[in-house]
Amino acid sequence: MSRKKKIIKKNKKAQVPKVSLKEKMSELLELPKDIVLNVPKLTMVGNADLLIENFKGIIEYDNDKIRINTNSGIIKITGAGLRIKEITSEDLMVNGDISSLEFLK
Amino acid sequence: MLLRLWNYIKGYVIIFVEGYFLEKFVNICTRRQIFLWDIKKKKNSAMSMKVSIKGFKMLRPIARKTGCRVRIMGKSGFPFVLNRYKRRKTFIAGAILFVFLFYFMSSFVWSVEVNGNEKVTTETIIDRVYQLGVKPGVFKYRINPHDVASNLMFDINELSWVSVVVKGTKVKIEVSEGVERPKLVNKNSPCDIVATRDGVISSIFVKSGLEAVKVGETVKKDQILISGTVPIKNQEDNPRILHAMGDVFARTWYDARVPVETKVFEKTRTGRKKDNVSLVLFSKKIDLFHRNSPFVEYDQVNIEKSLSIGEDLVLPFGLVIGRYYENNIIEKEITLDEAKKTAVGNAYKKASENVPKDAQIVEINESFIEKDDGQVTAEVTIECLENIGYEREIGGN
Repeated sequence: MSRKKKIIKKNKKAQVPKVSLKEKMSELLELPKDIVLNVPKLTMVGNADLLIENFKGIIEYDNDKIRINTNSGIIKITGAGLRIKEITSEDLMVNGDISSLEFLK
Repeated sequence: MLLRLWNYIKGYVIIFVEGYFLEKFVNICTRRQIFLWDIKKKKNSAMSMKVSIKGFKMLRPIARKTGCRVRIMGKSGFPFVLNRYKRRKTFIAGAILFVFLFYFMSSFVWSVEVNGNEKVTTETIIDRVYQLGVKPGVFKYRINPHDVASNLMFDINELSWVSVVVKGTKVKIEVSEGVERPKLVNKNSPCDIVATRDGVISSIFVKSGLEAVKVGETVKKDQILISGTVPIKNQEDNPRILHAMGDVFARTWYDARVPVETKVFEKTRTGRKKDNVSLVLFSKKIDLFHRNSPFVEYDQVNIEKSLSIGEDLVLPFGLVIGRYYENNIIEKEITLDEAKKTAVGNAYKKASENVPKDAQIVEINESFIEKDDGQVTAEVTIECLENIGYEREIGGN
């Protein structure tokens, strides 16, 4: 029992340092995380429009599936009739019938 | 919407990209700041997208790098439209000339409009304004509306307010007339009140002077009604002469005679017509294929049409159509009653032309006079009550 607990404690200890100083600071100073931490910002209007800011690149693009590489892992969008409405180096606009959004680590 | 308009102005190319590393192609494009939009997957290894002209020129090395084939599906936007017309020099010259000419023409005054005048005629105002330099054909930026308005105020005393606005190619003059100043009675100038016309005195009211006629008396034109010469007792040789004043109302009659005709000529239009068209250019009339009226009996109507854009942008071009309508004249017999009625109507119209505006109509009499030869004449007499006095200076004083 005690050993198991220890393991859990260890795990917790191992996880705690993962919260970086940057994240702590941004939380403390209430700074927007997408700028400070360089993570993507996703804006979704209904299930038709999705705007991803701060992405790294497209991994896969098809009519029913899009995978996008970002700093917080790969975003997988599934749906029907997916279309990239706009793409620039900073943001990406997906248009179509979106059914799911997944973060793959 | 705005972005689409911008894209249209800049021009874009719809391309079809085929290859195995399409995602790589898109990623490289974004990294090289090439803006792509409307990306659609067509088949397994092909997609279509839109790219700006500038971006399209940078695609070739990327396509070679990723092993993709790029094909142009369509070109859209303003630069391509412009390109189509690039060779047509005359067309472009015409377009530029049109814009220039249009601007040039609309910087002149082509019409003057006067509103709000009642007593002062439009012609006098327009005459005055023409003299002040505002007339068709004048450069509109040279007109100072403020100066024109104040000059007009000075020149025409009856106007109490003037506004001059240059709108498009039209000069709009808005005026307002003041109430006329009452006439000053110069009591130093002696005068009599005399009759303007024949009549029977119905009332007389003297403010100053000596009553010369009685109520019920018949007076002739130019007869003295109120005398300004007042005799003084014991000094008959040296009477007092003053400025007579007063109102003299009299009954007056106006009559007119019109023969009763049972035969009338009735005009009807046959429906046939002929147009003579004239072109008006800068107030000059140019006749086009003019011919004299082909009809014996006709009415002529002039129809004027001036070209204008909207209400205010009047252009110095127009048409005048002189239209001849053919008439059919039929001699018709009408009943005596009808003939009498029309004759009375005409006689009344004729008689009332002479009735002054401020006269009060008391009675209208109509009668028929039959001559020996059977010719009937309708007579209309309008009886009025009016002020017949007017001032006439006593000469020599």
